[in-house]
Amino acid sequence: MDYNDIQKGETLISIKDLTFDFTLRGQTLHALRGISLDIKKGESLAIVGESGSGKSVFVSNLMGLNAQNGHVSGGSIMYRGLDLTKLTTEKDWSEIRGRRIAMIMQDPMTSLNPLKTIGWQISEAVELHRGLHGDEAKNAVYELLADVGISDPARRYKQYPYEFSGGMRQRVVIAIALACKPEILICDEPTTALDVTIQAQILGILRRLQEKYELTLIYITHDLGVVADVADFVAVMYAGDIVEVGSCNEIFYDPKHPYTWALLSSLPQLGIKGEQLYSIEGTPPNLFYEVHGDAFAARNPHPLKIDFVKRPPMFEVTPTHFARTWLLDPRSPGVEKPEHIKRLNEKYKELMKKNGESVSGREPAKTALEGAAI
Amino acid sequence: MRAVIEKCNNSSKRLTEIRSINCSKGQDTVTKYISKRILHSLITLCIVIVIVLALLRQMPIEGYFNNFDKMSQTQINVTLKQLGLKDPLPVQVGRYFVQLLHGDFGTSIKYRAGYSNAKIIAQKAPLSIEIGLISLAIALILGLPLGAAMARSTRSKFKIWDRFGTVLIVIVQAIPSAVYYLLIQLYGSEWFGVSMLFSRSNYATWILPIFSLSLGNIVYYAMWLRRFMVDEANKDYIKLACAKGVSQKKIWNRHVFRNAIVPLVQYIPNSILFTLMGSLYVESLYSIPGMGGLLVQAIKIQDNTLVEALVVLYSMISVVGLLLGDILMAIFDPRISFTGKEGAR
Repeated sequence: MDYNDIQKGETLISIKDLTFDFTLRGQTLHALRGISLDIKKGESLAIVGESGSGKSVFVSNLMGLNAQNGHVSGGSIMYRGLDLTKLTTEKDWSEIRGRRIAMIMQDPMTSLNPLKTIGWQISEAVELHRGLHGDEAKNAVYELLADVGISDPARRYKQYPYEFSGGMRQRVVIAIALACKPEILICDEPTTALDVTIQAQILGILRRLQEKYELTLIYITHDLGVVADVADFVAVMYAGDIVEVGSCNEIFYDPKHPYTWALLSSLPQLGIKGEQLYSIEGTPPNLFYEVHGDAFAARNPHPLKIDFVKRPPMFEVTPTHFARTWLLDPRSPGVEKPEHIKRLNEKYKELMKKNGESVSGREPAKTALEGAAI
Repeated sequence: MRAVIEKCNNSSKRLTEIRSINCSKGQDTVTKYISKRILHSLITLCIVIVIVLALLRQMPIEGYFNNFDKMSQTQINVTLKQLGLKDPLPVQVGRYFVQLLHGDFGTSIKYRAGYSNAKIIAQKAPLSIEIGLISLAIALILGLPLGAAMARSTRSKFKIWDRFGTVLIVIVQAIPSAVYYLLIQLYGSEWFGVSMLFSRSNYATWILPIFSLSLGNIVYYAMWLRRFMVDEANKDYIKLACAKGVSQKKIWNRHVFRNAIVPLVQYIPNSILFTLMGSLYVESLYSIPGMGGLLVQAIKIQDNTLVEALVVLYSMISVVGLLLGDILMAIFDPRISFTGKEGAR
């Protein structure tokens, strides 16, 4: 498929005020509360946030994979002139699922059918989307296996998932996702179930394939180390809302939302030897009830009064950096940033001074995260 | 017994053939697995027969005589000696094994004096097997689709099939079979105007007993298939297949049903073999001259050798059924054939 009509860096998916509800035993759970986000072509976006913040529900919307008791109650997801929230039938989705947007699941140990050969499972997707059959399909599968770094594809083709290790299975899952050359690849915690060495390998493969196929990647993760490794942009989610979004460096070195502060402060890399690691007090709000004001206010150590009353709008910090907090309002009294955040900020400035303005991309985030440990 | 071993060899050969097409490397391991399972089954069978004999030879000695009351003690002793029942138990067991290997199940004493037990069974078994197989086929043909429909409908809004199936399952499971067998006979014969009694030549009289027999199995297969399919449908690989863009129909057929059938497949050989035993209650209700009441009758009239023959036969069937089930499962599930070291999970 040809995707060249949209240039790298231009908006590919535009999400406006997306709300998503689940109905559970007569009660309504507001899983997503008005998310707006632009996903740029060819970039990788990482969505971070604690468990239950709605990350998976959010990306499942892009593929229509949410449970049946959930429904979009407002907003739109525009992709190439198509509103994905309006798709209902399987036929509508068949153009999108696997063909244009593909997905990698969290646990490679369970995401392959245990009773079918690897080759069968990859060629199922190849046959479906590319219409290849017989030897042609087989060759396409061999090519995909080589792409994800599996050697001896002819032998591997005939093997069953149980003959593969976790890392190898995740490669197979990636091969399946790429079977139809999608434009967007969603990685739902692709490395959570893997150990650190394998994790690095898988992320390496994803990055290589992103370049080769000009993929737009969406990562879901709660590992900020992974984020610094792979993401161009970061969206921070809390209680079904995106509270802050920006480039990797902006989020790591100049975060604006108290929740992002708290999240970064909890990084073990930033802990001070001998002191207790920082942790966020309390629990996220119950989404069965309407959330008033800023959802994080109750756990915020220095909340403003208005945080409990009115929901803050998205304030623009830079053209790429937005945050949903009243602290950015010109009338706000301002709150002193936590110690950890200040230190990260200084590190960044140092780095910028040393290397000049030429520093770009993820480099500073990675080095400073490693260097910030005291 | 010879037939049994032959059967196993055949299926192992067939299996190897199937395997060699799919996977050249797995061939050895599969053959190894099957020969190991056959060996285990043989050992189990021997132990079972020894236990059965050791117990059954404790039965009252009256059961070896047709006219026990009229015989003197000397006559009794002579006959027992002739039958070899005075020998030590290991010798008796050894002799029995030799007999079995020749296909000899002993001679009936009272049921039909002087008649070979094998012949008695061979006369009665075919009818039971015929009725049993038909009812099993009906149970599979109706039960599996019902289970699949129930599982699929758990995803729909009103769950019509699931509700209907659940009601049926609960009714059939909750009411003792003795009760609904009677009801089926009573009302069935009235409504359809068929005779209450079975007659081999009149096929209309086959319907009610076959239906009675299959009802329990329909519900059984529907219940378990639904359960296994719902389990499978909630697994991650189904979600991935969905994300791949595979259609719902294909997902249900190629992934969910295919994987859910594996645990059920194991019991199918057993169900087939068990049809030989017939059903005591249904056969006596419709007075079908099958295997159903034979064991009970043999015990009642104290025909020791017939009891022995039947109990040994039934235990052989169980062991072979389990063996075939395991082999079938190995065909359906590639993970099973690879044991120990190679099964990297």
